[in-house]
Amino acid sequence: MSKSLLSIQEVTKNFAEVEALQGISLEIYSGEIVGLVGSNGAGKTTLLRLMAGVYKPSSGSVNLSNGKPVASMRQELGVVPESTGLYSRLTAWENIRYHSRMHGVPDSIAWARTEKFAEHLDMKDSLSRHTKGFSRGMRQKTALLRALAHGPNILLLDEPTAGLDITSARTVRALVRQLRDEGGTVIYSTHQLAEAQQVCDRIVIIHNGEIRADGSPTKLLQDTNTQSLEDAYVSLTLDQARTRQEDNGKESAFSGWWRRLFTPRAPDTTLEVNEDE
Amino acid sequence: MKMSDGSLKRVGAIAKKEIVEFTRDWRTIIAIIVIPLLMFPLLFIMFPVLLESEAAELDALELSIIIQTDALPENLGENISFNGIDFSVELLPNLSSLSVPGNDLERVRNSSTDAVLRLQTNEDVWSYAILHLSTSERSNEARNRILNVLSDWEDSEVRERIEQGGMDVNSTLDPLRWDGEISDADVATSGEQSGMILSLFIPLVLAIWTYSSAIQPSIDMTAGERERGTLEALLCLPCTRMELLLGKWLAVATITGVGVLLQICGLLFAIGYLASSSFIGVPQLSMISIGLIVLSIMLFAIMVVAFELALAMRSHSVKEAGSILAPALMLILFPALFTQVINLDGIEGFWFAIPVVNILLALRELLMNRVITEHVLIWAVSSVIYASLAAYYASRQFNREDIVTSLS
Repeated sequence: MSKSLLSIQEVTKNFAEVEALQGISLEIYSGEIVGLVGSNGAGKTTLLRLMAGVYKPSSGSVNLSNGKPVASMRQELGVVPESTGLYSRLTAWENIRYHSRMHGVPDSIAWARTEKFAEHLDMKDSLSRHTKGFSRGMRQKTALLRALAHGPNILLLDEPTAGLDITSARTVRALVRQLRDEGGTVIYSTHQLAEAQQVCDRIVIIHNGEIRADGSPTKLLQDTNTQSLEDAYVSLTLDQARTRQEDNGKESAFSGWWRRLFTPRAPDTTLEVNEDE
Repeated sequence: MKMSDGSLKRVGAIAKKEIVEFTRDWRTIIAIIVIPLLMFPLLFIMFPVLLESEAAELDALELSIIIQTDALPENLGENISFNGIDFSVELLPNLSSLSVPGNDLERVRNSSTDAVLRLQTNEDVWSYAILHLSTSERSNEARNRILNVLSDWEDSEVRERIEQGGMDVNSTLDPLRWDGEISDADVATSGEQSGMILSLFIPLVLAIWTYSSAIQPSIDMTAGERERGTLEALLCLPCTRMELLLGKWLAVATITGVGVLLQICGLLFAIGYLASSSFIGVPQLSMISIGLIVLSIMLFAIMVVAFELALAMRSHSVKEAGSILAPALMLILFPALFTQVINLDGIEGFWFAIPVVNILLALRELLMNRVITEHVLIWAVSSVIYASLAAYYASRQFNREDIVTSLS
């Protein structure tokens, strides 16, 4: 069995009254692609942010295999957030170099790695261009190159193919599989089951902040006694999905009163029934 | 706080990236370099040029007035003509006072004449009044020219009457005189005088411009990053939030420092140009004063920039940050204006403990080369406390978990 790289133990995360994650426990092993699958607001991004050390758990722990909290070992991680987070007035390479310098990696090493992966992603000619005019696909690929430039052990990808055209999405998926084949570990958040089935060795279904299932696609089908992953997903998530509410939503009493003062009331939609008709 | 080599490198990398990214926007260059550099020269040089051209235009005007009098002295009429005023003479109307417009009101209001001079003799004394329309440039100019002519005429009348009385004109009119050059009697050195003049505007410019030029970069590097979604990727990097704050603080302070320095250069150039370098010279400052000036500016910058970064980081969007930071300028503006009128001679020590006021008063004293130990201790200690509080507040904001979320 592969060794555990990341250990999540009984993690709960609260935002004001909302319990975004409830008692999550998960082990991430070396050399696997783990798909986090769930609807919008299920808690995938919150879990990824906890793994990246951006959030601290309200209770429980997120530790690396050496027992250290993940926030103190971020060199081990490469992260592609949902928003890609590129600086538009910098070139693609400057964006990548900035992050690799923050990881303490010399420019020459970062460049060699970037060149290698840029070839795969057909991005080599775009590295010296400002990212301002980049398409969604190019931005996503640049963010991926940036996450790989310092040679991370674990790659965290939040909806990496969202908004990409078919060819770009396929290229990204192929690269992710190649990274796994080379011994890398990838945590891949998506709300598309078909994509998770294509890419991931292991699927973790998250719903309303809880893990509802964790295993290979075949195991999920067996456990749920269904014929397709879609059926399996539906059977595991029968309760209504909550809406996304990650911001703590704090608003002062005065701000709330002021906002309501200038908000028109909804029109009265009660229909008057004409008895003659 | 001890920083490792890696930590310093990360802070440097953050600051460098912020400055590079910020200066790649041409609007920033306009706001940070061109405007501060040209603002005062344009104001001080172009404004007088404009005023001069307007004055020349007024001088060239041919004006027409009506003189109502019972007896017009011949030389007075000639002098009025010499001043570019065409006039016609009428008899004085019968009024309770010469200042009452009476039937002439409409003539002046509808500009059929630029002014009406009423002149009445009563043995040795002359009475006069000028009817004019104060909202009309022509009418005001006519009034001014008439007043000048009357003043000259009165002066010659006075001299003539003194001579007729058998007295010496100069000793009668000017019995008390300053002997020698007035400037020779000032015991302050030219360096001290320069320091005094500089102390009146440099602290003011420094305070207002430090705050206002830090607004844009502070917002861009915090709420802007949050809104654009770049902050999350940054927070996933192996740098602490304190390193992030320090890097961004360094970048904002550098950009602001360049802006303030250029503005002061522009101001000194404009003053030097206007006064042909005789109005203001180099202030005479001791090394201690210079060191304390640098310290006070540093403490002020730490406080102001940290405060702005904190407020901007609290905001969910650029719009929200702007609507908080712009009105907060009043917190600097009012103390800055207030400080200008405080008398520094015998000033009480507590003034040097009031936020913002303390640094501005310190700068005023130091520019006049006054190093008063008690004052220095009070402003230095209080400023360190305020700067630390601002930095602590900023670090708390940077440690908030919700900074990763944006409104979009």
